[in-house]
Amino acid sequence: MTEIGAVLDALRVAVDEGRAPGVDVRRDLAGIHDPTALRTAGRLLAGLATDGGELRRVRVAVLATCTIGSFEHLLRASLVAAGALPAIEPADYGSFEVSLASASFAADGDPDVVVCLMEESYFLPSDPNGYDETAMGGHVQARLDDLHALVKSSLRRTSATVVLHTIPLPGAVRDSFISVRARAAVSRIWHQLNAGILGLAEEHRQVVVVDLVSALADSACEARDDRLHRYADLPYTDGALLVLANEVRRVVQARLGLSRKVLAIDLDNTLWGGVIGEVGAHGVQLGGLYPGNCYLQLQRSVAHLRQQGVVLALVSKNDPELAEEALTQHPDVVLRPDAFSVRAVNWSPKVDNLRRAAESLSLSLPSFVFMDDSAFERGHVSTELPEVAVVDASGDPAHLVRSLLRHGWFDVMELTETDRQRPTLYRTRAMRSDFSANFGSSEEYLRALGTALQAQWATPFTVARVAQLAARTNQFNLTATVFDEATTAAMSTDPDHRVAVFSVSDRFGDEGIVGAAWIEAGPRTWRVLNLVLSCRVLGRGVELAMADWIVTQARVAGAVAIEGRYVRTRKNGVASAFWTEAGFTPSGADGVFTLAPGSAAVNTPDWISTKETESHVT
Amino acid sequence: MSAQTSIETTVMSILSHVLNESAADLRAQPVLAAHEWDSLTSLEVLAQLENQLYVSLDLRRYHAARSIDDLVSLVGDAVAAKSATAH
Repeated sequence: MTEIGAVLDALRVAVDEGRAPGVDVRRDLAGIHDPTALRTAGRLLAGLATDGGELRRVRVAVLATCTIGSFEHLLRASLVAAGALPAIEPADYGSFEVSLASASFAADGDPDVVVCLMEESYFLPSDPNGYDETAMGGHVQARLDDLHALVKSSLRRTSATVVLHTIPLPGAVRDSFISVRARAAVSRIWHQLNAGILGLAEEHRQVVVVDLVSALADSACEARDDRLHRYADLPYTDGALLVLANEVRRVVQARLGLSRKVLAIDLDNTLWGGVIGEVGAHGVQLGGLYPGNCYLQLQRSVAHLRQQGVVLALVSKNDPELAEEALTQHPDVVLRPDAFSVRAVNWSPKVDNLRRAAESLSLSLPSFVFMDDSAFERGHVSTELPEVAVVDASGDPAHLVRSLLRHGWFDVMELTETDRQRPTLYRTRAMRSDFSANFGSSEEYLRALGTALQAQWATPFTVARVAQLAARTNQFNLTATVFDEATTAAMSTDPDHRVAVFSVSDRFGDEGIVGAAWIEAGPRTWRVLNLVLSCRVLGRGVELAMADWIVTQARVAGAVAIEGRYVRTRKNGVASAFWTEAGFTPSGADGVFTLAPGSAAVNTPDWISTKETESHVT
Repeated sequence: MSAQTSIETTVMSILSHVLNESAADLRAQPVLAAHEWDSLTSLEVLAQLENQLYVSLDLRRYHAARSIDDLVSLVGDAVAAKSATAH
């Protein structure tokens, strides 16, 4: 995760240079949830003097029944992160009603959006303690009518979108009624007030109401600050104001057309639990009890997004036949193959698949959201396509739905019939695209990734993991011969056999043992009986570096020939070209490939460094 | 650096940042009213002090503070009170 200090420094530089912060800085800013840091960011950005560049200009007036305080800065930071360049005009303290009635929001003309920051005292009697619940109900209703009259007056004079919000009832008011019945009646009165405010949006198309009360209930922050309420008429904490700023940001984002249209989503450990290449279509976790219920819920949420016009793209590194089988036949799958306008199920880099998907849909990459559980894939997309929004699907699957929805990436002001039909329209458009093609690699990213292969011979400490890998790897598994733990242990100490163990690490961390090879090491000929590689690291050329290391070891041992085998199974299509890509040539026998280690070398990608660990057990 | 010096440095740094004046200028004229010490800037300074030092200041004393020394003193007391509670 990017350091908050680094993001603030980048904003400072942008402001000093008079240019809009770049898309990568804005993305990092959107990832900050600390109100203090965002308050500082908003203050910094107030000094931004630019024509906006790629940012969308928007003029926002803020009226308040209390002190506006840090809300202005929090809103500015949230809006810049979303791709807007706001000019925010805070109204003078105490001018709420006059400004609203006369629609005089800004010195230089009509703004695009007017945000009304409201607190309870506007609606309550000045001393609520003197009131019973019936009298209070009458007062609150009268104040709601006053607000309605002010809003109507405003709408006659402005074309701005007026944003209101629901208001939490403070415990100090609720608890002042000691009868539980009276207290329930006061809460009812307050819910009716909020229902009345929400109703203004149904009555007037220019009015939008955000539900601050519900958003606060979903947030971990304290909402009220009694000290600052009394000291400076600041009833809400910075945390609560940030919750409101985010809700307002979603409205402005939708109004400016900055929302996203496409959800590109992964399969394994995202739309279902488990790796289908390892567990098969029947073995994925989907439906039933935890964790399968989490994935089912995500599929239902994604289907609901699709019903509302979000275009779906499937971006998964998998055998297409296997994925298709599960999507078609698994009884609990909600998103059947035709739910996706584009399906890119192959072994190509996801960055290339996203570019191709954008081309075939004729939609730009800034309209894409990409959801994946792999830090490698998310990092690759963030680095090469910073304009794509990235959603983290790792960790406890119980959080998947909230992770996808909470930012409001896809918000629109209203849905039209065209919106609802969009996924079908785009699906037709994209049908001509063939995503089974190989799009090549993203060498620049792979170099920056710093992949390191560590090779060693098996030891008693690694035999168990190697045997487990042999049993669980179905895709990059050359012969499907499973050497169990006892056999592997025996081979690792037998002078005529070798068991090679490969680990991979990169800047995201250590993947641990991901590959192994079982070798019959004759004096003249080495035969690779099987070689497996976990699909977690496929697509990086790791397998070629493994082959290179084996060839080197054979040469050092004095072997003059190496034989490799490939036996096709239902799942190992991804490995079919391995031996030829490694420089081996097919021999006469079916599925056998050979290479002379003294005269030929394996083409190892230059972005992988290989390190040998001393561990030869003989 | 003593705890008191560290608190003074933090207070000066925040004041300097919010009031947009150098620490030397602030030291030369320690009366807050001589600078842009209005309701908005005083609230911003309050928020930054409380967030950076993880303390809750006594608002009665904060409201009554007239000089930078008053601020340093009340912030010092808040930090000491918090530290005493922690032990």
